[in-house]
Amino acid sequence: MTPGAVAGDVFVPLFGALMCAAPAVTRPTLQFGVRVPTAHIGAAVIRQERRAYFWRSAAVAVCCAALAIIFSGSGSRWLPRGILLLEVAADMGCVWLARRKIIAVKTTEGWFAGLRQTVVADTSWRTQPQPFPVRWLIPAISVIATTFLIGVTRYPQLPAHLASGLATLGGRGVPRSPASAFAPVIAQLYVTAVWTGLLVLIHRSRPDIDAADPAASLRRYRRLLNGCTRAVLTLLALLDLTFLLAALQLWQLYHLHGGSSLLPLLPAAAGLSILIAVGLRAGRARSHAAGGGQPPGQITAVGRDDDRLWKAGLVYINRTDPAVMVTTRIGVGWTFNLGNPVAWLIIGMIIAPVAGLTVIRIAAGL
Amino acid sequence: MLLSIEPDGPVPIYQQIRDRIVEAIAAGELPAGSGLPATRQLAVDLGINFHTVSKAYDLLRQEGLLRIGRKSGAAVRRDAASGPPGPGWEQDWAGRLRTLLAEATAQGLPADDIVRHCQAALAGFAAPAAGAGTSATAGARS
Repeated sequence: MTPGAVAGDVFVPLFGALMCAAPAVTRPTLQFGVRVPTAHIGAAVIRQERRAYFWRSAAVAVCCAALAIIFSGSGSRWLPRGILLLEVAADMGCVWLARRKIIAVKTTEGWFAGLRQTVVADTSWRTQPQPFPVRWLIPAISVIATTFLIGVTRYPQLPAHLASGLATLGGRGVPRSPASAFAPVIAQLYVTAVWTGLLVLIHRSRPDIDAADPAASLRRYRRLLNGCTRAVLTLLALLDLTFLLAALQLWQLYHLHGGSSLLPLLPAAAGLSILIAVGLRAGRARSHAAGGGQPPGQITAVGRDDDRLWKAGLVYINRTDPAVMVTTRIGVGWTFNLGNPVAWLIIGMIIAPVAGLTVIRIAAGL
Repeated sequence: MLLSIEPDGPVPIYQQIRDRIVEAIAAGELPAGSGLPATRQLAVDLGINFHTVSKAYDLLRQEGLLRIGRKSGAAVRRDAASGPPGPGWEQDWAGRLRTLLAEATAQGLPADDIVRHCQAALAGFAAPAAGAGTSATAGARS
């Protein structure tokens, strides 16, 4: 089975399910990326749009999953990815529809009229920073070191042509060279370095503080950051283990056939499941704590109405904000501030190696 | 310390930052020696230009409430327990207070109410602030 087929069989229904669940793990004061004052989180239009969004996104998930199953035997590398892209676009359309209707009512009824719009920062976030859990990186680094050492030992005994680029992950035979033989180690280093770098950036980014309930929302954010960081570092270790298992096949230490050839993907799948579970749990805790349980009448401050800075509720572009990364408005996660040139530089640094490798592979006819 | 500002309010942002820090010092949330975030870090947290934070810190430094070192960063220089203010400060402050009281009087607020507001504000500063003294003493680079 190729990565494209895996994308069709696993990621299409998984992405569909996550998009269905996204409103349930989003802060009630940020419905579909629209800033909502605490007094209006139970507005009729929000209830209606949440229901409508659920059914629309569920229909998208079912249709795309059916398409993926129908075309799973086609053998095409790109068709399952195309279906996934189609699903992403359709789900974005569902978000856009819900967002447009909520914004219309919010503007007509003047939800923010007369309210104190505030931004809150906690100085202790910087003076007593959350330590980065460096020790959780040890498993990933150990797996990479093990893979490298096995590779160095096996390299002299490898044949002139290797079976594939990444063993179980498909591809044609390639001449033996340090680059082709150590491709799994390079992949491990790339993925681990990129995600660790992003996690460090996230640790330095501003916390998601709810102006209506700053202290409690900061406590929840600390828990979310701690949980997600550890879950991502666990995922990295398990992903590196998947690359190690793939490398062992590439280096002809064992062979798997048929359905069992997917076994090396199991650690990565387990890591992804842990990350999703941690994200959903933290998101649920956040979505159930709007206003810290205070009656809406006692809440004197609300977050700043900054919808215009969020394109389609998903893309943050603010040239006057020095932040490089901010928390997403839909679901649980972080995104780049595309109004900051540093963010573009980082995106370029992440994409460049993959883009360069793809160009080389296409040029070499691999 | 939770620092809350209104970016679209009538008061300049640097003035709001300065006012919130002064209030936190008075309430005991930021005792002398407490570190404050670096200007760039606080600017990121508030989503504003770092020059604005720098202006607020500079104002506080001129007022003698903050010390800013190249390596030690910004830290609170004095608080209520640090003794009487420097010479001339009280006269300046009395001038500003006079303007503030004049505003209330001009708006028709009775003298008793003005005194009551003053007493309530002072009582708030005198009460032990939650979490007072827990701020880090390590200064951040500004």
